[in-house]
Amino acid sequence: MTHEPEKGGDTRVRNYISEMFLSSLFISRERGVNMRKILIVLMVGILVLGVSSLVFAKDWVQYLDADKKLVDTKMYFTPPPWKIGFSNASISNSWRVFFAKHVEYEVSKHPEIGEFLYTDAQDNPAKQLADVEDLLAKGINVLIISPATEAALNPAVEKAMEKGVPVVVVDRKVTTDAYVTFVESSNYEMGKVMAEWLVQKLNGKGKVVLLSGIAGAGPAEDRLKGAMDVFNANPGIEVLEQQYCEWSPVLGKQVMATMIQKYPQIDGVWADSALQGSGAIEALQEAGRPIPPVTGEDMNRYLKMWKEMGFDGVAVSFPTWQGQVAVQKAIDILNGIPVPRYVDVPRVIITKDDLDKYVRMDLPDEFFMDSRLPEEWLPKR
Amino acid sequence: MKTVSVAPVAWREFVRNYGIAVVLVVLFIAAGIISPIFYRSANIFNVLQQASALGIVSIGQTLVILVGGIDLSIASVMATSCVFAAALMKGQNHLVLPVALFCLGIGALAGFINGVIVTRRNAPPFIVTLGTALIFQGIRFVYTKGAPFGSIPPMVRFLGRGGMGFLPASVIIFLLLAGIFALILRKTAYGRKIYAIGVNRRASLLSGIGVPNIILSTYILSGLFSAFGGLVLAGYLGFGDNWAGRGYELDSIAAVVVGGTSLAGGQGGVGGTVVGVLIMTIVFNMVLLAGLPYQFQQIVKGIIIAASVAFYSYLGRED
Repeated sequence: MTHEPEKGGDTRVRNYISEMFLSSLFISRERGVNMRKILIVLMVGILVLGVSSLVFAKDWVQYLDADKKLVDTKMYFTPPPWKIGFSNASISNSWRVFFAKHVEYEVSKHPEIGEFLYTDAQDNPAKQLADVEDLLAKGINVLIISPATEAALNPAVEKAMEKGVPVVVVDRKVTTDAYVTFVESSNYEMGKVMAEWLVQKLNGKGKVVLLSGIAGAGPAEDRLKGAMDVFNANPGIEVLEQQYCEWSPVLGKQVMATMIQKYPQIDGVWADSALQGSGAIEALQEAGRPIPPVTGEDMNRYLKMWKEMGFDGVAVSFPTWQGQVAVQKAIDILNGIPVPRYVDVPRVIITKDDLDKYVRMDLPDEFFMDSRLPEEWLPKR
Repeated sequence: MKTVSVAPVAWREFVRNYGIAVVLVVLFIAAGIISPIFYRSANIFNVLQQASALGIVSIGQTLVILVGGIDLSIASVMATSCVFAAALMKGQNHLVLPVALFCLGIGALAGFINGVIVTRRNAPPFIVTLGTALIFQGIRFVYTKGAPFGSIPPMVRFLGRGGMGFLPASVIIFLLLAGIFALILRKTAYGRKIYAIGVNRRASLLSGIGVPNIILSTYILSGLFSAFGGLVLAGYLGFGDNWAGRGYELDSIAAVVVGGTSLAGGQGGVGGTVVGVLIMTIVFNMVLLAGLPYQFQQIVKGIIIAASVAFYSYLGRED
């Protein structure tokens, strides 16, 4: 009575599982295929696949050094005029607008570029695949791509590299090795630098609230990891709570308003972007509390609030001029000049001392001030 | 098998009409048990403030759903209104009135486009309003070149964040509008026609009701409410955000459904929607007060929506 049914249930479950396994191989138990045989076939199959992938693994680029840091680009040397293709994920927020502007601006400075082809995938990876096909069909000499999602664009860049078109990946990565250089500004470093500043401001002791972007989004998770590595190394820092605010100023304000009710003492706020950060500052100000140190970005909204309210701030940029660097690397490649496999575009750290150098009260809130654009290139109505 | 006895029907009616209000009361008590902070006047202020913009657009959504439609352009119209308010008011109080009227005009235009295509071309509102959402998203991106400018004047800021004690200014406007439209739906011929169309469009048409015009009017009203909600959000935020109100189109549908308005139309009302909006907002607040990760909000929200739909369909089975 006690054990019998349980046992029965157990074998039934086991039968069910093996049935599932067999049916997933399109083999029914009735045909009496030996389990061991199937396993052997599977193992051999996996082994063959593994070995063949080792044998056929492609060296997409040739390195000039043992550390695989510098890529040889002699084979890509092309006399000008060049045809440059830029496949952008989207310009659906002002960061991306500034980023795309920097690409265009750098292109405009080079008369060697005969033709500049630009596509906008509107955040849709399927459209971006088609965009790249299109650019390749038009015979571009180099492809600059800012992927809509990490893995989805692998086939596109692989196809380009196979056709001998060098690829510069910028801002967001792809998960294949099929590119010549990857230009970004490390999100991990950004989160880390912000956290280090906060720890220093608090003299290593205090209660902090962490406001992240979108759960699962690469940049948000990387920035958070950078921050947590710092906070964990500082036992004096107590992380009261970490919440995601979807990079929305509205949510940032709403979440912070509740945090203020919940915690009588908040010594610092780590926000991974000025979007929810600016919302959080509003909430703190409206609560009538002294505003604790709040981290932010080079977004003018945050800089203006910092200047007006005079709290302790720091702005760590996620440089929009990554776009400019990407074009420079593309040009190096076409000139046959070796390029680094990975470029970490240096972030600017704006402190109280150089706030006045960056903030512009006359410019819109959503401008990014760590910009290399001349005045006439700024987005105008 | 039809129910013959009278009592269960009356009971059913009561639960259908007031069950959700009971849920709200239970939630209100539970929230205080989970965290006494909930009852603080500053926290109630936050909750009511967060409910206001969503509540205002949900009134419009209720009207559209009552005639058997749906409006997915709400968030886009809100953001467009918010961006234009910042750009054109330029932070100056004397520009508030003309620009606010302009923004409401944009909302009415969006609703008009929705309504005309839905009624004259008999197109599915789901797709039509999605298309309008994209059009207005495009318009604001073309206008702002992706980087919104301008600023929000103090008058609008007061609308979005002002108030007294535990009562934000915005919630008073929300409740006032809700009261007006609850009355219109209940007491006026226009209101009764909305229900008639939702229950049986053909019968309404045959009995001489101007069905297309009334459907059109609900879309225009929804557009107006969206634009106004965008202004409230602009006041709350303090700058023109290209994505202000993101997610409000679906949240408003959820609030309407939780409030007991049937997606098939003809059943429910604004009163239920007010309760639905408060439930959604209190849940958001509770999840944060309980220290659960923000993602739990989505789980709880989903459970509430699914449970309320199951509940209403169970009640409505033998109608």
